[in-house]
Amino acid sequence: MFYFFLIVAGLIGLALLTLPLFFSVLYGAQFALNNIDAGRGPRFLLVMLKSLGRNRLRTSLTFIAIFVFVFMITGIWSILSFLSAVTEEKSKDLKAIVTEKHQLPSQMPFAYAQSISREVQSMPEGQRPRDDDLMTWQFYGGTLDPTNRTRENGVFFFALDPKVMRTMMDDLEGLDPQLAEALRNNMRGCILGKDRLKALNKRVGERMKVFSFNYKDIDLEFDIIGQAPDGRYDQTAFMNRDYLNRALEDYERKNGAKHPLAEKSLNLFWMRLPTTESFQVVAERMAAPGKFSQPSVKVETASSGISAFLDAYRDLVWAMRYLLAPAILVSMSLVIANAISISVRERVTEMAVLKVLGFRPWQILLLVLGEGLLIGVISGFLSSGLTYLVVDYYGGIKFPIAFFPAFFVPAAALWWGPVLGGLAALFGSILPAWSARTVKVSEVFSKVA
Amino acid sequence: MTPMQRLAALPMWVWLVLALTPFVALLVIGKVPLRYNLRNLTVRWRTTVMTAMSFTIVIGLLVMMYAFVNGMAALTEGSGRPGNVLVLADGATDELFSSLTYSDATNIEREQAKTDADGRPLPAPLGVARVDRGGKPIALCSLETYAIVNQPMPVTPGQPPRRRFVQVRGVVDPDVSGRVHGLSLLPGGAWFSSAGVQGIVGKEVGGLPFLPVGPVSLFPGATVPFFPLALPRIDYQANYIQAVMGESAARELGRDAKKPMLEVGDVFELGDRQWLLVGLMKSAGSTFDSEIWAKQAIVGEQFRKESYTSIVLRTADGTDAAAKTLAAHLTKNFRPAVQALPEKEYYAKLTSTNEQFLWAIRFVAFVMAVGGISGIMNTMFAAISQRIKDIGVLRILGYARWQILVSFLLESVVIALLGGMVGCLIGTIADGWTATSILSGGQGGGKTVVLKLIVDANIIATGMLLALAMGVLGGVVPSLSAMRLRPLDAVR
Repeated sequence: MFYFFLIVAGLIGLALLTLPLFFSVLYGAQFALNNIDAGRGPRFLLVMLKSLGRNRLRTSLTFIAIFVFVFMITGIWSILSFLSAVTEEKSKDLKAIVTEKHQLPSQMPFAYAQSISREVQSMPEGQRPRDDDLMTWQFYGGTLDPTNRTRENGVFFFALDPKVMRTMMDDLEGLDPQLAEALRNNMRGCILGKDRLKALNKRVGERMKVFSFNYKDIDLEFDIIGQAPDGRYDQTAFMNRDYLNRALEDYERKNGAKHPLAEKSLNLFWMRLPTTESFQVVAERMAAPGKFSQPSVKVETASSGISAFLDAYRDLVWAMRYLLAPAILVSMSLVIANAISISVRERVTEMAVLKVLGFRPWQILLLVLGEGLLIGVISGFLSSGLTYLVVDYYGGIKFPIAFFPAFFVPAAALWWGPVLGGLAALFGSILPAWSARTVKVSEVFSKVA
Repeated sequence: MTPMQRLAALPMWVWLVLALTPFVALLVIGKVPLRYNLRNLTVRWRTTVMTAMSFTIVIGLLVMMYAFVNGMAALTEGSGRPGNVLVLADGATDELFSSLTYSDATNIEREQAKTDADGRPLPAPLGVARVDRGGKPIALCSLETYAIVNQPMPVTPGQPPRRRFVQVRGVVDPDVSGRVHGLSLLPGGAWFSSAGVQGIVGKEVGGLPFLPVGPVSLFPGATVPFFPLALPRIDYQANYIQAVMGESAARELGRDAKKPMLEVGDVFELGDRQWLLVGLMKSAGSTFDSEIWAKQAIVGEQFRKESYTSIVLRTADGTDAAAKTLAAHLTKNFRPAVQALPEKEYYAKLTSTNEQFLWAIRFVAFVMAVGGISGIMNTMFAAISQRIKDIGVLRILGYARWQILVSFLLESVVIALLGGMVGCLIGTIADGWTATSILSGGQGGGKTVVLKLIVDANIIATGMLLALAMGVLGGVVPSLSAMRLRPLDAVR
C-alpha cells in the first residue's frame, strides 16, 4: 500500500517538477523568437507561445493531465509492443524449441539432449546449427525454508550449460564472460538476479541450501558466485546443469532406484537455426516415426511457444489494446478540448481584434490548433522521455505476464509521447478552433460596446 | 479484528453514504445558492458535458476492470468446497507439480483424526464421509491426475501455428469425484463409463481407412455430399476417449469447430487421440468449468502421469473446521509424508494474479483520476473567473464565505457524480461478459480459466466514491479561491 501511494505521489511529483522545464521551453522559445527577425511564420508561433503563457494555471493543469495520460499509455504500449515483438515470427536469429509434444511442463529424458544434438548435427551444411547454438534447460525450484515456504524464500533455477548461456539466452549478453566461466568451473555455483538476492536476503559470496519442491529429496547447496545483469532475470537464478544431473545419479546410487524425475529432467531443448528452411527440416526429423516416441516431441519456433503461454492472457491483452489505451487517448483529448475551448471562449474579443487586424479565418484556426499541438507535443515528449528514463532505471514495469517479470520502456517511446500528445491535442482542438474561426467581429464588438 | 480493520472491512456503499452525508447536511442546514450553481451547469452545458465525460471514461473503465477482478475472486471462492481436504505430495506447490504414489492413496480414505489441529482430543474420530451406492458404502475420496495439455489450434493456411493449454483431470470414479466436488451433469449427459472409452461403429468405403460415407468438409464452411455408392462399404469401429467437461471448456473448444460450444456427442482431438464428449458438467463459477474430465488411467497413460497428482477427501462433517482438522492430521501423521490442506485454502492461495491485477487497476484508476482532476480544476477555475461579479453580488446579498465555498464545491461534485453515474451505467454493460485469465499462486503452475465479469453494488459504490473524491479534489482549490474574493473587489 505504502509503495503504491509512493509511486502515484512520485508520478504527480514528477509532473510538477517537470512544469518548470516545460515553461522554460515555452519562454526560451519566446525569447528566441523575439530576438530574431525571421518573418511571419515564427511570429505566428510567437503568438501561440504567448497565448499559452498567458494563463499559466490552465496551461499547467493541462500539462499535468497530458503528462499522466501519456505516462499511462507509454506503460501500456511498452507491454504490448514487447509482447508483439516476442510473438512475431523472425527470419533472422530464428530460435526453435523442442519440447514434449503434449504435456506441460515438458519433461523429456535427459538422454534426448544427445539424440537431438546428433540429429541436428547430421543436417546438411548450411542448415546445421553450430555447437554453440544448442542449449538445454532443466528447471530446479526450491525454498530456503521448507517449514515455511513463501514466495520470498523460494528460488527457481535454470539449470543449463554455462558455456552457451551468454549467447543463447535472450538479453544475457551483458553477463560477464568470466562469471559464466566461473559457473562452468564451479559446479555448485549459482548466479542470482538482483531482486531474488534481495528477497532471499543473500549476497554474492554467501552459501545457501535449497530444499527442492520439484525434485523431491534432491536438496542442493549453492555458492552464490555472481549477480545476473539487471532486467529480465532480476527474479531468476542460473545453475550448472551438471550439478543437477550428478545429484540425480547420486540419488540412484544411494537409494538403489532412479529418482522419479530422473527420466523426465530435460524440460526444453533450444537451438538457433540459420534459416527458416532448416526449421522445417528439424521439425520433420523430430516428428519422424520411431525417433522420439517415448515421449513424442514437437518443434516450434520460440515465438510460437511463447504465444501459447500468452493465450491465457489474450483477453487481458485485448482489453489493454482496444479498451484501456483508446479510453486514455479519448480522456486526454477531452481534457485538452475542455482547456482550449475555455481559452477560446475567454479570448473571443482577441479573435475579433485579430480578424480586424487582417488575420484570415484559417489563420485563427491554425493559431488555436497550434496552441493545442504545442502543449500536446511538448508535454507528451517530456512525459514519455521521463517515463523511459525513470521506469527503466527502476527495473521496468513490474507487471508479470506469463514468464516475463517486468517490461522495459523501449527507446521508441521517445516518439510515441509527442505523437500521442500531438494527436490527442489535434483532435481535442478541432472544435474549439473551428468556433474561434467563425467568430463574428460585429457580434463581438456589439457585445463589448 | 482491530477497529481499523473493522473500518476497512465496511462495504463500499457504506463509505459512499458516509462521504455523501456532509454534502447533504450542508445543503439542508446551510443556505447554499445551489439553484444558481445548477443553472450555471446547464447554461455552460458544453463544458459540463466535456468535463463529465472524462469522469465517465475513468469510472466506466474502473467498473469494468473491477468486474474482472470480482469475477476472478468469485471463481476462486466458488472452486473450493467447505469440508473438502486436498492432498498433494509433500513439498508440491501446485497440483501440476504434485506426484503421489498409488500406495499413498490406498489407505488415506481410512484415516481418522482423533485430535484437532491444536492436538486437543476430539469427542469422536473424524474421517472421510461415506455414502451408500448400490448397498455398498463408498468413501468420498476423489483420486485425481491433473495435467495441462498443449493442444494445437486450427489456423488458416499461411498463419503461424497456434497452441493453447487445456486442463485435463483424470478421475478414477467420476460419480465419487462429482459428489466430492459437488458437481453434477447437465441434462442429456452421462459420466464416462468404467472403461472410459467408447467404440463408435461407422462405415469405411472400399476398405480404405478415413474415406467417409456422407458429407465431406473440404474446408471450413463448405461441405459437399460424398456418396461413392459404387464402392463396397465395410463396418469399422474406432475407440474414442469418453470425456465430460465444463461449459467454459466446451465453449473454448467449440471455437475450433466454429460453433458456440461443443455438445454431447461431439468429437474433438487432444493429444493425438479422438475424444467423445459424453456430458457437460454443471460447474459454472468454479475452475472445474474450464476442465475436461476423463478416466484417470487413460489420462495418466496418455500424458505420462504415472501417479495421482492429488486426492480430494470429503470430511464426514462437511465443515471448514472438520477440513482443517483432517488436513492437519494427514500432514502430521500420514506416511509417506503428504501435504494436506482444506480445499478452500488451496484456492484462496491462487489469488496472486488477482492481487497483481487489483493493484494494477488501482494504479490505472489513480493515474487517470489525476488527469480527470486536472480537467475539472480547469473547468472550475474558468467558471469562477467568468463569474467573479456574480460571486461579489452573492457576497453582498449576505452569503457567507463558507457558503460560496460549498456552492462551488457542490458544482464540481455534481459534475463528477453525473459523469460517474454514466460511467457506472456503461461499466454495468460488462456484467456477465466472459474473459480468459489465469489463476496462480505465484510459485509456478496456475490454471487457465474462463471467468464471468461481475458488476455488483460494491463496485458501483467504489466507482461513485472515486468520482466523488475526484470532484472534491478538483473543486476544492478553485472553490477556495472563489471564497477568498472580496465582495467590492469582485463587483468592481
